[in-house]
Amino acid sequence: MTTKELIEIVKLKPLSKFEHREINGVFVSDMLSDVMAGAQSGNLWVTVQTHKSIVPAANLVDVSAIIITSGKVIPQETVDLATKHDIAILSTEVSTFELVGKLYSLGLVSS
Amino acid sequence: MSTCQHEWEMTNIQFGIIVFEKCSHCNGLRTYFSPIVVGDDYREGDCLWRVMENAQSFRFDLRCKKCNRLEKYDDIMGFMYCTGCLPDCKVEILQKKYAIKKTWVMVAFGFLTDSFPKPISPERLMILDDYFNQKRDTSRSTIKILSYDLIENFSYCKGEFIFDVGMLSLEPPTERKPLF
Repeated sequence: MTTKELIEIVKLKPLSKFEHREINGVFVSDMLSDVMAGAQSGNLWVTVQTHKSIVPAANLVDVSAIIITSGKVIPQETVDLATKHDIAILSTEVSTFELVGKLYSLGLVSS
Repeated sequence: MSTCQHEWEMTNIQFGIIVFEKCSHCNGLRTYFSPIVVGDDYREGDCLWRVMENAQSFRFDLRCKKCNRLEKYDDIMGFMYCTGCLPDCKVEILQKKYAIKKTWVMVAFGFLTDSFPKPISPERLMILDDYFNQKRDTSRSTIKILSYDLIENFSYCKGEFIFDVGMLSLEPPTERKPLF
């Protein structure tokens, strides 16, 4: 599944400008250190974090997209930095719990 | 000399706390890794060390999956990204140069001690480059890790550590207080 397909199916709102790419799994965490140590290249990263530091962390481990849940307001500087680094930031009003359920039902699992 | 085309993986991952301390007597700054949150002040000769910040982080080593070579990185405090605050800084100059090739610069930071800054060797930086780039779709972008001793002036540096500190507030994020 690609980020383009996922956005359409789950009705995610893209905030940054990015090139669509293949998704190979899901990583759920609100800790940058956890993501840098455990996420795999191509993973979706699901979080409630909105600080701009999520962008370099996502870039370092090469996640396919960051999904920010629970309708959190994302600062423009975070979105701008993501666009600069071609990192997808997607947002959703649903909670992490609900989103992970949807992702699981689509066959996306942790890797 | 090894002929192995190394394929690196993270190993010996240890989660903990980066402690930032400042002395009110000598104005020195030191950092170290601790498995627990530290908060007490303490004396050391004339110095009075006070904790400024605790940041959740991790340390790790890299191991080659093919030849089992272990490269230790327990002297690295973390990674920082350059915000381009000082145009004359070597990190910013290199960042601009690499950005043209879609290569994103990160700064590997060693722990701050009395002998600070202690450069991270080019060979060990190259291994970090290899680790982060081997997993990437290289047609999109690459990562270049620089050593922190390239930073022109720590007092003015506004680079941001990729640390878990002050990130769980439900309020919109504000600028973090400087650590130097």
